[in-house]
Amino acid sequence: METNLVLEGFKFMGLGMGTVFLFLIVMIFSMNIMSWAIHKFFPEPQANAAPTASAAPQEDNKKIIAAITAAIKYHREG
Amino acid sequence: MKNILLKLLALFMVLSFTTASANEAHVTEGTAKSSTHKEETYKTKPFMEMIGGFLESTGVSALINPSPDELSATGEKMSDFHKSGGRIIMILVTFFLFWLAIKKGFEPLLLLPIAFGGLLANIPIAGIAGPHGFLGVIYQMGLSNELFPIIIFMGVGAMTDFGPLLSNPKTALLGGAAQFGIFGTLVGAVILSQMGFVDFTLQQASAISIIGGADGPTSIFIATKLSPELLGAIAVASYSYMAMVPIIQPPIMKALTTEKERKMKMSTLRHVSRLEKLIFPIMVLTLAILVLPESTPLIGAFMFGNFLKESGVVERLNDTLQNALINITTIFLGLGVGSKLAADQFLVPETMFIMVLGIIAFSVGTAAGVLMAKFMNLFPGHKINPLIGSAGVSAVPMAARVSNKVGMEYDRTNMLLMHAMGPNVAGVIGSAVAAGVLISLFS
Repeated sequence: METNLVLEGFKFMGLGMGTVFLFLIVMIFSMNIMSWAIHKFFPEPQANAAPTASAAPQEDNKKIIAAITAAIKYHREG
Repeated sequence: MKNILLKLLALFMVLSFTTASANEAHVTEGTAKSSTHKEETYKTKPFMEMIGGFLESTGVSALINPSPDELSATGEKMSDFHKSGGRIIMILVTFFLFWLAIKKGFEPLLLLPIAFGGLLANIPIAGIAGPHGFLGVIYQMGLSNELFPIIIFMGVGAMTDFGPLLSNPKTALLGGAAQFGIFGTLVGAVILSQMGFVDFTLQQASAISIIGGADGPTSIFIATKLSPELLGAIAVASYSYMAMVPIIQPPIMKALTTEKERKMKMSTLRHVSRLEKLIFPIMVLTLAILVLPESTPLIGAFMFGNFLKESGVVERLNDTLQNALINITTIFLGLGVGSKLAADQFLVPETMFIMVLGIIAFSVGTAAGVLMAKFMNLFPGHKINPLIGSAGVSAVPMAARVSNKVGMEYDRTNMLLMHAMGPNVAGVIGSAVAAGVLISLFS
C-alpha cells in the first residue's frame, strides 16, 4: 500500500503530461489548418481595399499641408 | 345644607380617586410581576459583576484565556494554541502580507483582500469566518462551489490576446512543457509523505502541485475541489510565488542557457487576421469538449471571455468582464480565501511543506520550459530563443515580461515580449488541461 503512492504519482505524471501535450499538439495542428484555410478561402480584403481607401485622404492631406504652409507663411510675415 | 352637600361630594371624589389610583397601582404591580416571569434571562446584577462579565467577553480575555467550548469555522474543536497564541501569530502574518503587498508590490490586488480576510478570520468570539459570519457567507457563496475562480477566468479570457500564439503555433509546446512543474511536484509531494515527513493524501498532493501551474484561479479551483482544508496555504503560496516570478525565474533561465542562445533573435511575427482570432476560442473549446470535458469549466469560461472580446460587437460586456466584474469578484475571492487563513487551518505543519513544494513547482516548471525550447531547436525550422520557454508557466503577463527583460540584458535590441506571450497564454490553456486531468482522475 505504502509503495503504491509514489507509483501513483508517476502514473499521474505520465497521464497528465501526456494529455497536456496531446491536447496542445492537436491544438497546434488545428491552428495551422485553420490559418491555412482562412488565408486560402477568406483572405483579408486589406490588399484590395488599401489603394481606394487611401486615395481620397492623400488629396485631403495635400490640401491640409497647403493650408498649414500658408498659415505658417502668414504667421511669419505678419 | 348646600355646603355639606359640596363637602360630601368632594370627599366622595377624593375617595374614589384614591381607590382608583390604588387599583391602578395594584394592576401595574401585577403586570410588573408577570413581566419578570416572562423575561427570566435578564437578571439584575450588581454593577461590579456586570463589569466582570463584560471583561470576560473582551478580545483580550478571549485571547489570553480562551473559552473551552469555542468551535472553529468548520465546527470542530480547536486546540488552546489555535485559539490564543496561534491567532496572534496569524494576525502578525497578515501584517507581513500587508507589507509584502503594499511595500513590495506583491500582487496587491489579491494579496491585500486575502490578508485582510485572514485578519478578520482570526478575531476571537466574533466568528466572522464561521457559517454565519460574513466571510463564511462569502466562502459559501462563491468559493465552496468554485464559482469565483471561474468568473475570474472569464475576465482573464477577455484580457488575453491569442495573436502571438496564432502567429507562431509551435510555441504552445513550451506552455505544455512548463506543466511538468505541476506533475513533478505531485511526485515530490507523494515522495515526501512516503518518507514520513508529512501525511498528504493523493488529493492533497494534487491540489498542492497545481501551484506549479502558476495560475491563481486554477489553483483555487482545484484546491476547493480536492482539498478545501489546504486552500489558504495553497492560495497564499500561489499568489506570493507568482509575484516573485521576476526573482525566481532569471537565475534558472541563465543557468540553463548559453550567452549565444540568450542573444538569439527571433523572426518577426506574422499578421493574424481577425477571423482567426474569432475562430480560435471556439476551436480550443471544441478540442476540450472532445478530449477532456472535465477541463471545460475552466477553458469554457476562459474562451467565453475571449470570444466576447474578439467578436467586437459586445464592447460593453467585454468592458464589464475586464474591469467591473473581475474587480468585484477579486474582492470576494480574496476575502473568501482569507477566511481560510484562520489559525486552526493555517498554522499546521503542512503549510510549511506547501510553501517549499510551491517554490520547487515554480522552478521545475521554468526549467522544463527552457529545456523544451532547447530541445525544439534540435529540429529544423524557425529557431526559438530558449528564454521564452520560461514564459510557459502561466503567470500572465509577468513571465513573458521576465523573458523580455532577461533577453534585453544581453542584447538591448532583442524584443522577446510578443514572442513570449505565445507560450504564456498556451501555459494558461495547458494548466487548465492539467487541472482537468487531475479532476478527472478523482471523479
